[in-house]
Amino acid sequence: MLAEKALDLIRELERSVGGSLPPYNEDRVRQVLEEMRVLCEQNQKDVSATVAGESGLFSGVQVRHAALERNKRCLLAYLYNRIEQIKKMRWEFGSVLPTEVKYNLCEQEVQWFGRYNKLLANYMRSIGGCGGLDLTQDMKPPKTLYVEVRCLVDHGEFETQDGNVIVLKKNSQHFLLRSECEHLIRQGILEHIVH
Amino acid sequence: MSSLEELEDESGDEVETMTAAEVLSKLEEAWLNEKFAEDLLEAKTDLVECMMEQISEMEDNIHRAKKGDFKVSIHRLEIDRIRYVLSSYLRSRLTKIEKFATHLLEEEKLRKDDEPSKLSPEEFTFAKDYDKLLESHLRNLALRHMPAHIQTLDPKQTAVRPNLDKYVFLRVNEDTEGVLVEEETLDTGEEIVDMKKGDQHIMRYRPVAPLVASGAVSLI
Amino acid sequence: MTLKASENYFDIDDILASNERIPCRVELPIYRLGYLDSSHESEHLLPGTKIEFPYWLGRAVCSKKRHIVGVDLPKQYREGYREILSADATVVDLHKLGPYYYSFGTKLLHFEHVASADIAKSLVKTFQNRFRKIMDSSQNAYNEDTSKLTENLDEAERSLFHSGQLGLHDFQRWETRKTDKLTTSNMVRNHRKRKRNVLNDGQ
Repeated sequence: MLAEKALDLIRELERSVGGSLPPYNEDRVRQVLEEMRVLCEQNQKDVSATVAGESGLFSGVQVRHAALERNKRCLLAYLYNRIEQIKKMRWEFGSVLPTEVKYNLCEQEVQWFGRYNKLLANYMRSIGGCGGLDLTQDMKPPKTLYVEVRCLVDHGEFETQDGNVIVLKKNSQHFLLRSECEHLIRQGILEHIVH
Repeated sequence: MSSLEELEDESGDEVETMTAAEVLSKLEEAWLNEKFAEDLLEAKTDLVECMMEQISEMEDNIHRAKKGDFKVSIHRLEIDRIRYVLSSYLRSRLTKIEKFATHLLEEEKLRKDDEPSKLSPEEFTFAKDYDKLLESHLRNLALRHMPAHIQTLDPKQTAVRPNLDKYVFLRVNEDTEGVLVEEETLDTGEEIVDMKKGDQHIMRYRPVAPLVASGAVSLI
Repeated sequence: MTLKASENYFDIDDILASNERIPCRVELPIYRLGYLDSSHESEHLLPGTKIEFPYWLGRAVCSKKRHIVGVDLPKQYREGYREILSADATVVDLHKLGPYYYSFGTKLLHFEHVASADIAKSLVKTFQNRFRKIMDSSQNAYNEDTSKLTENLDEAERSLFHSGQLGLHDFQRWETRKTDKLTTSNMVRNHRKRKRNVLNDGQ
């Protein structure tokens, strides 16, 4: 059937819902664009033939045109939904992506991530007129000012808001201001200990 | 425009002073409405700026306070709480701004001068840049490789728009009579509801959207 | 093609639902597209040929303006099935009939078939009758394998079931004060898990 390859791209995304982003399928994208080129060529041929006096070609043109639109929709939806995932990555991983994750993005998607990151940073800086607000923080309502945390990895030195420097060593435990370590918890460097 | 006094001037003839606590409670209401509404509501830029100012004042106070002063922790926790409400409110908005960027920019173009904008100036800049960024991605990877006559992106077809027919939970703040909830159809007559203060309803968002905007009802 | 607000152009589910098949009967010759019909080897699709088209194609070639093919109802929306559903909707495997039973059914209404009004009523009734059971099971299944509970559900019902489960879990977490805990973001956690699995597999 027409536009089957384009639908494969959509199925690829459907299967990965909740999981990781599958590698950008450049081959399949190219095949879809090729199918579109061929459909368009055939349509142009039929249109010229009609102009030359042949009749009854209209139905075929309609079918191919619908297939062109369908291919377009699937292809754009493929890119769009990948972008949705890539945006989510900015909020969950932070502004630097792990290499293995980056590996599944195509060159333009990596660039897009960078531009989105910049756009977001500019916006957050402009909030409220004075210094801005980091919206990637404060993801949950605060219950306490300080939290007890355990280091899950060796992270190195960390300067607290009041100027003390502590060493975040694997398995060491600390009592830190929630607002200054929320990022590290979300990135899996610290674990919040609740009693 | 940022301080409390200016905010009060803006409200016109009614001279009432808004305390920081009142501003916060207004912001909290805007936050819940924004969280539960399908479309983007009018930006409460004044409330945001006012609370941002409040935070920085409180931070200054903390710096001036003596070390170990008990009040410091309370102030800090209060700052964290305000910042959470602010961030969560602006995040809800940002999600919608990204999703409906094309649609919102269209609305903004059609907006008359005397109508308030749904977007704050900063959000407007963001929406414009984001919309461009998304379109150029679709163009670079797909559209420009397609047959010429199919390369355009028609917002009528592709713009993502809020579904106003979703159902919402709401609480009535002011008695409101004669709300037309369902238009008359072939099968059923029209449905009109009188809302009493304190009532709670579940209904389609579309007919109550103006009441959310005016504050007559709150989404819950 | 115009879309309703709920049928977002980029929506994966809507794209999949619009791929469901409809039985069609060719009414005007469609030249040089015979290859669409895998059971015949002719070069053209000639009037009288019966063929299944995906919804998106059927919609493009059968409308008030254009009548290149005539469309028929897919069997799962015909009277026989509507009767089974009205007898007891809760025992029917809508996933097998769907999996986009409601959303595809709603799309079929565009063709303004004589049975459209009955289909619309049947869709609403079916959902009403099944809703109670879906709600109950989603609120009562805690920490158990839910795949048995959802295997007969249409995609929209599954997503309803999962929102119910999410609500239940959030409530339990709140009751046991687990919501206070700040956690690693999901993507980071899944990424770590996968990385660990790769390392373990390599050993």
